[in-house]
Amino acid sequence: MSEIDISLEIWRQKDSLASGVFETYSLQRISTDMSFLEMLDVLNEQLTREGKDPVAFDHDCREGICGMCGAVVNGIAHGPEPETTLCQLHMRHFKSGDTIVIEPFRSRVFLPIKDLMVDRSGFDRIIQAGGYVSVNTGGTPDANAIPVPSTTAELAMDAAACIGCGACVASCPNGAAMLFTGAKIAQLSLLPQGQQERKERALSMVAAMDNEGFGNCTNERECETVCPKGISIRNIARMNSEYFKASFFS
Amino acid sequence: MWPIIFLKSSIGKKWVMACTGLCLIFFLFSHAAGNATLFYSTSLFQSYADQLHSHPLIVSLFSKGLFAVFAIHIITGILLFLQNRKARPQKYKVHKRAFKNSIASRTMIYSGLFILLFAVIHTAAVSFGDHGVIAHTVSTMFSSFVLSMFYIVAFVVLALHISHGLWSMLQTFGVNHPRYTWIIHKITYAVPLFFLLLFGAIPFLFLFGSGN
Repeated sequence: MSEIDISLEIWRQKDSLASGVFETYSLQRISTDMSFLEMLDVLNEQLTREGKDPVAFDHDCREGICGMCGAVVNGIAHGPEPETTLCQLHMRHFKSGDTIVIEPFRSRVFLPIKDLMVDRSGFDRIIQAGGYVSVNTGGTPDANAIPVPSTTAELAMDAAACIGCGACVASCPNGAAMLFTGAKIAQLSLLPQGQQERKERALSMVAAMDNEGFGNCTNERECETVCPKGISIRNIARMNSEYFKASFFS
Repeated sequence: MWPIIFLKSSIGKKWVMACTGLCLIFFLFSHAAGNATLFYSTSLFQSYADQLHSHPLIVSLFSKGLFAVFAIHIITGILLFLQNRKARPQKYKVHKRAFKNSIASRTMIYSGLFILLFAVIHTAAVSFGDHGVIAHTVSTMFSSFVLSMFYIVAFVVLALHISHGLWSMLQTFGVNHPRYTWIIHKITYAVPLFFLLLFGAIPFLFLFGSGN
């Protein structure tokens, strides 16, 4: 086990109305086996001992599957490792003497709550608009009762891997939520269970996305590059086509 | 009304950009075909221009349509740019791009505005030149080194704009599948390169005296 000394520049903001500033902290003897969030825990213990306010950050499962954690680390959402959530980023990817700048996900829609926490309920409202299947499924059906070709199932599963962390919005220069919305529309449009509400879903979810005030995709591919689940922008292409068909042929 | 809802939506605006962009690419192909006559001789180019202008109704309809398409493309592009700026009001302290090689995508609004400037200058230059003798106008224009260089820079910017625009257009039309990736990749390089080489060669033709 090796240890590193690092310096942190963290965005501190008391609440949604206060204006934020960067504050600098030094941490000594941080184990390189620690996760990024464990390192923040160590900082918070230090701040609490000093009688200061600990840094607020979102987290839950710490296994990279819940989508709660997330911050922009040295300019990259979820940090420098590809397809890795912030909780799964380890301190071995940093060197002793490094200064790490940690900022919250920024977007007009993701309003700040405190420090690194932002309100991502805009995503919930997009899902509420149609990101579900409302058919009565009855009892547990047989897994093979509705045949789905394996390639289609794989594409749907790739889209379903989205954990809704918001890194796509945070990294997009336009603050667009099209990767998130596209992934859910694509997932359900590919599967038989999603067919009944397919057109209605595309129309409602895109309308909800626009109403929130997210930006427009200009295909800069930042979102898919930082996505911790590797969601492809092919899902945006699928959403574009789904929305067109739903608008003109429903 | 569904068409208004569609056009007001984010994806609807992308479709407007894609459809008008496609029209502009078709226009560039027809323009390139006409200009290609210069490689044979200026007199052939002149007779092509004379033949074209002997159908004033077609020319008038075509130029008005082209102006409308160009205007819609620019206005929608600016609207989207302003909306996007509003969606991300606060910048990051450390600004890093995760995706490499995206100069064309990053600069679409600026390359677009430069092309607009070029289009205005180019239209003014060919409209107010030696009236009726377009071949003479072209020959005079490209005898100026500065103007020739401006044209070449504009063609480079145009190629950059088209390379990302074409790819974005296909993405908007929903054409993005592993099966077509290789051909999309080739098209997004081949088409802008074709325009760059064809249009870019014309100033050189006159600068080095081989235009006749």
